[in-house]
Amino acid sequence: MSATTRNNVRISGSGERAMMFAHGYGCDQNMWRYVVPHFQDRFRIVLFDHVGAGGSDSAAYDAGKYGTLQGYADDVVEIAEELDLRDAVLVGHSVSAMICALGSIKAPGRVGKLVMVGPSPRYIDDADYHGGFSRDQIEELLDFLSMNYQAWAAATAPAIMGNSDRPELGIELVESFCRADPDIAREFARVTFTSDNRADLPKISVPTLILQCSEDIIAPVEVGEYVRDHIAGSQLVRLAATGHCPNISAPDEVVSAMRDFV
Amino acid sequence: MSDQAPSFEDLYEDAPCGHLILSPDGRLTHANRTVSRWLGYEPADLVGKRLLDILSIGGKVYWETHVRPLLRMQGSVEGIALDFVQREGVVVPAFGSVTVIRNADDVAVEMRLAIFKAVERRQFEQGLVSARKAEAERGRLADESLRTERQNAELREQFIAVLGHDLRNPLAAFAGGLRLLARENLSERAGKLTSMMSGSAARMSELIDNVMDFAKGRLGGGIVLDRNAHAPLGPTLLQVVDELRTTHPDRAIEVELSIDEPVDCDRPRIGQLMSNLLGNALTHGAPDLPIRLTASTTTDILEIAISNGGSQITPAAMEKLFQPFFRGDVRPSQQGLGLGLHIASEIAKAHDGMLTATSSPEDTRFVFTMPLVRG
Repeated sequence: MSATTRNNVRISGSGERAMMFAHGYGCDQNMWRYVVPHFQDRFRIVLFDHVGAGGSDSAAYDAGKYGTLQGYADDVVEIAEELDLRDAVLVGHSVSAMICALGSIKAPGRVGKLVMVGPSPRYIDDADYHGGFSRDQIEELLDFLSMNYQAWAAATAPAIMGNSDRPELGIELVESFCRADPDIAREFARVTFTSDNRADLPKISVPTLILQCSEDIIAPVEVGEYVRDHIAGSQLVRLAATGHCPNISAPDEVVSAMRDFV
Repeated sequence: MSDQAPSFEDLYEDAPCGHLILSPDGRLTHANRTVSRWLGYEPADLVGKRLLDILSIGGKVYWETHVRPLLRMQGSVEGIALDFVQREGVVVPAFGSVTVIRNADDVAVEMRLAIFKAVERRQFEQGLVSARKAEAERGRLADESLRTERQNAELREQFIAVLGHDLRNPLAAFAGGLRLLARENLSERAGKLTSMMSGSAARMSELIDNVMDFAKGRLGGGIVLDRNAHAPLGPTLLQVVDELRTTHPDRAIEVELSIDEPVDCDRPRIGQLMSNLLGNALTHGAPDLPIRLTASTTTDILEIAISNGGSQITPAAMEKLFQPFFRGDVRPSQQGLGLGLHIASEIAKAHDGMLTATSSPEDTRFVFTMPLVRG
């Protein structure tokens, strides 16, 4: 199967260079719906879903391959190769900030610039490192998510489909939005929140922009600064937006910071 | 209060569910008495806090990664699990629904959150999660042991097939040597001994054939027939009887053949079937009573019947008679592998025929029938 089918790749916009967006844990490519329109006039836009999320092919899931973030990064590279992207701007949110970084390390010619939105190379505190979570908290978190996926899969999916105060989104979108294969999502959570990619940061060689939210409980300011300090020549922009998803809650701020960078 | 009509304010404050009203940036602007009581706060103490401040770690991350994006996209989310944390740090499992309220200009002005305590529901859900995990683990273990068992069985059968094949050549050399010896001018005692040894070699050869047929059947080969509708069957049957008479000179075998029609069969296989049945009669039949063999054809059927006197086969044993490795009650020295009758019935099936057994206190009788021509 081609990577573009497997990962439900959607292409829009026009331009010499490509801009490829990777969604984070918990959602799908719709995460970028408020950002993408601002770049469609100058870039060829590539959107995709990680395997197990949105419209991807869950049958392609392989516990071995996707047992580390590198497996997801390999998918990003495969998509870039199939579309023959060169010098593309790679934009990753949340865990996909690191996934895209790993992709840029593997295929340097394909990626020209990297935008990391709310990145964290490691979520668990370590000796001289503040990740924001203790090991116990991560265990509690994974238990909770596992349970919520159980309930999610059993009870809430139909409610989401039938419930739209915003009919302009359309039924198809509502049906697929943030839908995930519960078993894969559970594993993705484990892989995400137990990952440690600190050693990969210095290997990033492309110009990198880090977007750091205020009051982000998942990727605190110290973590953003750690990422900046370990990627040579990177720049960090602090957003006024609060929370972990500025691409949803404050798209204008994200767009403006990205425009200056690209 | 009881003598007045309930007010909407009472309904809101003391509702059976918790009500939280949040500003668009996620800070509490109202909390009803019910949720305040659950969480150990005065309602006023909750106002101004971030929702994230009263959620568990799982609740916080779920809210940020799932609920907020969903709210932005579709304006409401129903039936989500959210764990809250009491002032003292105790976790309160809850589930609830959230709606975003927009003004006339479609700008979000507040979020309304209704929650229910869900201690028991959460236990149920956790039970479900554990059960799912255990089920998956059980399934994995069962698959694994089934796979191992199949592999072992296949190895065993391959081993049998290889062993049987390798035993044939030395046994053939041994039997050939005995035949040469029998032509020498032997003493009476030596003559008897070589005859007994030839009988044993023939019996070993049959055992090997049965074992190999069984292994091939299990390995998917089945019994392959080499049919011939024209060659006569009678001489094959008589040859088998002669061999057995030679090796069992003290036993009487009465034969009555009336095969008047050609039989479309694999003659060596029918010989093997009959040899197995006669061998069975020799082993289990009363030594002082004759074994009777009749073979006859009607216009469309061949029937071979072999009967012997002796003790009746028990109903329990009758049920298992044709199963592989079934052995009746015999002296240990007489025990075979228990494949003879199984292979005989397989040969019968391969010929589209049937092998049946009946047993009474007077005699035990095996009857093989098959169509004269292929259907």
